[in-house]
Formats: sequence, structure tokens, C-alpha cells
Amino acid sequence: MQNAKDSFYLALRSRLAVINPQRTVLVRGALRPGILLEDAEAPVAQPPADVFVMHWGALGAETELPSAMVAMECEISYCTSGTQAFGGLDRGRSLTAMDRELIAILRPPSTPKVNYSVQPAAPMQTQVFWDEPTFPSITVQRDRVSRSARVMVYSYQEQGE
Amino acid sequence: MSDTAARSPVSAPQMIADALLRSVAGSSAQLRVTGASSDSSQSELGLIATTFSEVVISPVVMRKLRPAAKPGDASQWEMLVSATSVQAQVNALDLQSAQALFSMTLAVTMAGADYLIESVASNEAFGKVYLYRLTLRETFQQTL
Repeated sequence: MQNAKDSFYLALRSRLAVINPQRTVLVRGALRPGILLEDAEAPVAQPPADVFVMHWGALGAETELPSAMVAMECEISYCTSGTQAFGGLDRGRSLTAMDRELIAILRPPSTPKVNYSVQPAAPMQTQVFWDEPTFPSITVQRDRVSRSARVMVYSYQEQGE
Repeated sequence: MSDTAARSPVSAPQMIADALLRSVAGSSAQLRVTGASSDSSQSELGLIATTFSEVVISPVVMRKLRPAAKPGDASQWEMLVSATSVQAQVNALDLQSAQALFSMTLAVTMAGADYLIESVASNEAFGKVYLYRLTLRETFQQTL
């Protein structure tokens, strides 16, 4: 499971760096693509704006198959207040741009599974794959608009996992 | 809000702020600052332990802004921090600005209790910051 989660995050991170290199976030003094794994970062009082924040939720397992398949729900939250140059009046457009980027980084809906807990990272034999994302309605909190997209991520458990 | 008066910058406001903070039993606080990450995939996945360093700032004064309304809620606090102390640590850590220091701060520890920074504001006189005001929230462990 952990390998699938790691592979999914790093696939999205790499794709985002290609699609929009300007979307970055400064974390612990390092400039990184603007996507974070919530449970691998320090707790914050308020999620950062203009950044994708990934959060793992529900988990299911199908053990009747020849190889056990695990399904995990990933919530990808993002919010924006627009840009300072427009006085925040472009926050709707900024959110739409993030919607578009998220759809783009989720295609194609699969990536090779890699074990990142060893150095160098070791490719595994199966793929991590996922459904189409669902986009619920936006949430407005004062000048900040946000959305939490959900996507189901699947992977087969390999030997030793 | 900065003071735009046409006078030479002096450090008097900073000295007065420090004196006032000390006169109201100003204490010291510790900022738990992360080391600069190596920006590797492993550090982003939580596979590499982050290094921390404790940065002491003094004098500081804490006051409660909003008490917890119900059990489980976090109280909100305001910490008034000496700008000279912050500037000394910014120089010691070779950072660009005080904002960089606060953005690298995971938690603020005072009297053994941990707090998260919610926002940072500053007071200026003659174009120089003499006081930082941090809005803090108790960490979850303390709100239980």
C-alpha cells in the first residue's frame, strides 16, 4: 500500500512540474512543485493557497483475487484567493486553472509502482491505477475558494509488501 | 502599517519595545525550526527524518485572544516578540527575512507548551519593525 501511495504522489508531482513549472511551494527552505502530502509535512493552522494538498482517506481490500487488490481514496484539496495584481477578483479563474491542472496530472490514469523506501528506488512489477476524479462543488470562505477532489487509487499487493 | 514620517531611522522604538516587553515580565520562547531539506523524493514522502533546531527569542509576552468555546477547541493566543531578537536570529541563521524564519518554524514552545503559528503581523516606526505579533493556536495534544 505504501509503495502505491508513494508512487501515486510522485507521479502527480512529476507531472505537475512539467505541466505548470510556475506552481511551486516553499517547504522547509526548499522550492518544490506545488503539491504536498499532508501526512508527511508539519501540521499547519491553515492549508497553503494555490497548492494541491493530498490526503489519504478510505481503504478497501479485495482478497479473493489471485493477487490481493487494494483500493484507497485520495482527497486532493486546493484553494486560492486569486492574485494580488487582480485584488483577488480572479479567484474563480485561478480555481478553474487548478481544476484543469489536476485533470491533466491525473492523465494517463496509471503509473509504474516503485519502492522508494530503498536507495536507489526499485521499480516493482505492477502498476498503480486510478478512476476518474470527482469534483464536488466549491467551498467559499471569505475571500478564499476551495475544492476537494476525490480519486480512487488501486494497486495489486506484490510479494513482500 | 508603516510610518512614513520623513525622519532618519533610529533604533529607539525597538529599544522602547524591548524595555516594555521586559517590564511586563517578558519571558523567552523557543522556535522549533526545521533544517533546510535536501529536497529529495524521500524527504517529501516522510522517509527521511527532518532535522530541527531550537531558536530562542526573548523578550516575548503571551496573551490569550480567544478561549476554547467547547472541549476539543483550540484557544488562540497572541505572542508579542521583540524585533531585535528576531533580527539577531535571522542574521545568525543567514536567512533573508523574519518571514523566512517564521515560515520555517514548526512550533513555538513557551513554558513547556507547543503552539502553531496562524499568522504573523508586525509594527513599524520610522520604517523599521520594532515588534512582531504572532497569532498562535494550541497544538491538538494540548486541547484534549
